[in-house]
Amino acid sequence: MIKHKALGRRAFLQQSAAVGALAAAGSFAAGPARAAGKPVESMSILTANASFDPVRPEMGRLIARAAKGIGWDVKLAAEDYNMGIGKVFKEQDFDMFIVRWTGRANRIDPETFISMMHQKDGAYNKWGYDNPKINELAEAQQVEMVAEKRQALVKEAQQVIFDDTARSPIVYPSMTNAYREDRLDGLVPMLGEGIGSFWSDINVSVKKGDGYVRTGQTSALKNLNPVSATDSNEFKELRMIYDRLVQVAPDGSVKPWAAKSITIVDPTTVDIVLREGMKFHDGMPVTIEDVKFTFEYHKKWKAPFFINSLEKFESVEVTGANTLRIKLSAPHAPLMINFFCSIFLLPKHIWQDIPDKAKVDDVLNFANEKPVGSGPFKFDYWDRGKELKVSANPDHFSAPKCAGIIRITYGSHDAMAAAIEAGECDRTRYILKPALVQDLDKLPGVVGKGYPSHGFYDLSYNHRRGPLADRAFRMAMDLVIPRDVIRQVVMSGFAENGGSVIAPANKFWHNDAVASRRTNVKKAREILAAAGYTWDGDGKIHYPG
Amino acid sequence: MLDYVLRRLVYTLITVFAVASILFVLFRMLPGEPTLQVISPAMDPAVQERMKEAFGLNQPVGLQYLIYLKNLVTLEWGRSFVSAQEVTDILSYRFWNTILLMAAGMCLTLVLGIGMGIIMAWKRNSPVDVGGTIVGLVFQAAPPFITGLLLLMVLSYRLGLFPTGGMYPPGARPDGLLDLLLMPEFWHRIVLPTLTVGMYYISTPMLIMRDSMLEVLGSDFIELARAKGLKPRVVMFRHAARNALLGVVTIAGIMVGFAVGGQVVVESLFSWPGMGQLMVESAASHDYPVAQGTFLMLAILVISLNFLTDILYSYLDPRIKITAKGMN
Repeated sequence: MIKHKALGRRAFLQQSAAVGALAAAGSFAAGPARAAGKPVESMSILTANASFDPVRPEMGRLIARAAKGIGWDVKLAAEDYNMGIGKVFKEQDFDMFIVRWTGRANRIDPETFISMMHQKDGAYNKWGYDNPKINELAEAQQVEMVAEKRQALVKEAQQVIFDDTARSPIVYPSMTNAYREDRLDGLVPMLGEGIGSFWSDINVSVKKGDGYVRTGQTSALKNLNPVSATDSNEFKELRMIYDRLVQVAPDGSVKPWAAKSITIVDPTTVDIVLREGMKFHDGMPVTIEDVKFTFEYHKKWKAPFFINSLEKFESVEVTGANTLRIKLSAPHAPLMINFFCSIFLLPKHIWQDIPDKAKVDDVLNFANEKPVGSGPFKFDYWDRGKELKVSANPDHFSAPKCAGIIRITYGSHDAMAAAIEAGECDRTRYILKPALVQDLDKLPGVVGKGYPSHGFYDLSYNHRRGPLADRAFRMAMDLVIPRDVIRQVVMSGFAENGGSVIAPANKFWHNDAVASRRTNVKKAREILAAAGYTWDGDGKIHYPG
Repeated sequence: MLDYVLRRLVYTLITVFAVASILFVLFRMLPGEPTLQVISPAMDPAVQERMKEAFGLNQPVGLQYLIYLKNLVTLEWGRSFVSAQEVTDILSYRFWNTILLMAAGMCLTLVLGIGMGIIMAWKRNSPVDVGGTIVGLVFQAAPPFITGLLLLMVLSYRLGLFPTGGMYPPGARPDGLLDLLLMPEFWHRIVLPTLTVGMYYISTPMLIMRDSMLEVLGSDFIELARAKGLKPRVVMFRHAARNALLGVVTIAGIMVGFAVGGQVVVESLFSWPGMGQLMVESAASHDYPVAQGTFLMLAILVISLNFLTDILYSYLDPRIKITAKGMN
């Protein structure tokens, strides 16, 4: 008892919660026993402020208000985005957190949403989630190289995560895009990227004018160094200039690109056959040596985005004029999308002298002012803070149908919408505020539309804290989230209600049996009552006991 | 005179040094970490360390400060954490964009403001005076994001008279500053941001000029000039306005300094890649080298303008004598 007195209230509850979590596996937990009978403490929902994303604080406010339905006092803490990220990922000092997991191409692979977010030691798992069943499934899917078998493991994991209410996916937001249909033809929407996709870039044609597609985005392009880039904004531009071995196709499948084939010979052996006749923009041929160099160079300089995958490379050996064999130290299923679909082929004859001849001490500090790749577009110029211009590479095996792409940075969503209205901008690269998309759609010659994405707005729970360690409590919270209101009002209809951590749009991996829970406060209270929670005269919820 | 100038120069350098040091501390006090801005927080801690190593953030803070001071003196302001480009390159490009916008805005503000101030004082209490004061104050009270947005809505979206933003048409990057200035499209695009800046700042020189003029107009030498039978226009411009200009000169220096850094809204609204936007972007992304560079450059500009204003004073007002001890 003396020891208990020395503990702070929060630490006391945390310890109690941990005990509760251990007891929770597979059944509704009896709840944190030491807090027995006491009122459930007030907690907060941390999220980014409205200037970063107007949607998040609105969602937070609605959920906080809805929590009153179960007699729980929840407050909204809308803060600077970076501070919030620091609190969650560095300090792990938060109760609940609303974040948007964007539908990046590499997240089509279930590795991020299953393993990284839910495995005990997963890189994103800062919420203290630890479920032995999930740990087992997450590990099994990582090393299962046969897609269908892996799919079964991933589907089972989704069900377990859902049943355990490890988190609450709020809504799957659409990619809200707009474009001028009177100017553009042949746009190809892609899962998670909408019409800003790579497939749009190479297939779009321009009906009138100089043939260039004026593409708008509200965030400035930061970097054109393919080795140091980590941000999807940079990847979207770099992939036009540099080729990849394989590409993620519009439906999320993997499509051969610079590699004629990538074969999984056995779980730790991968063979690559390079397409013949490719050339870099300076006229030099693309050889298998360039591919080998690309892997070794990224590994040598510990390229941030790729280093985790490259650490599994035991050896890379050229086995023929166009073939190469990779030996892995252990099987790693996410390699195809996370690595081969992401890494950019570097010309050895240029990069072997970098950073030495570039007057920098580290390749991460190399600005790469004039990128030379082998991709479908050649770099033209980058006017920092304003625009990037690339022109079609007619010699490419998949030559673009337009004359080129001009990526223009707009100061705000409103400015970009106005430019589309005025005919100065042809399409959006990333998302545009839903309300503006609705307005633009009413204009002649303009299409404003939402495209499916596998990303989601997420309410994550800190499983180390108070009632959030209890599955019954988390499930009750999930049941009070007013998803219909959020979808219709906050998202202007451009979303689907959230359920599984793998969105329905990600068809191959999604488990159809996992559907969104309908808002039901009565049922939430019943679950809590069954788990032993009680309510006092003021309607405030108390711990069981 | 030389003594005074030298002493002021030394003070100026000390101020710059102090500002540079404060900036160094201030940005490092910001919550959050720069590596989190350029890399996913979920990346391996070893990768985070890798980024810190590349940025030089693995060094002790004291050493970072010494390197920072050394680089300051040698004008090697480092490279952006975000884009890896040299800070001086980024700054020079963004600085001139803002200077172009501000030069246009300030010319409009000063010429119109001073002119209006003179006329309003000359015609005191007339409808011109009352109307001008009201319009000036309304413009000052209306923030640029309102006036700018209204101008955009009416002149650009509705009437289609001006483009919505940018410095030149997409895809038509000019080869250098001269080429840009020779582009008719550039002048077409600068009209709306210039008007927005002009409307916001015009009341300051206008009202100061009006007040100074009223003060001067009550002076004996103006009475004398009138008594001599000089034409009203000559009295107004050559005698009164010239003397009343002093107050505007004082405020103009400070105003230009603030205007260079304070145009975040106008730059965002008209998609103009200038210093204001750069300040916000770099501070928000913890890009220390760029943030320090932009703020320092602005500080140097304001401090230098103050220094020049002091020196200019002695030429404009013959009553001010500069001695070794200072101004008298």
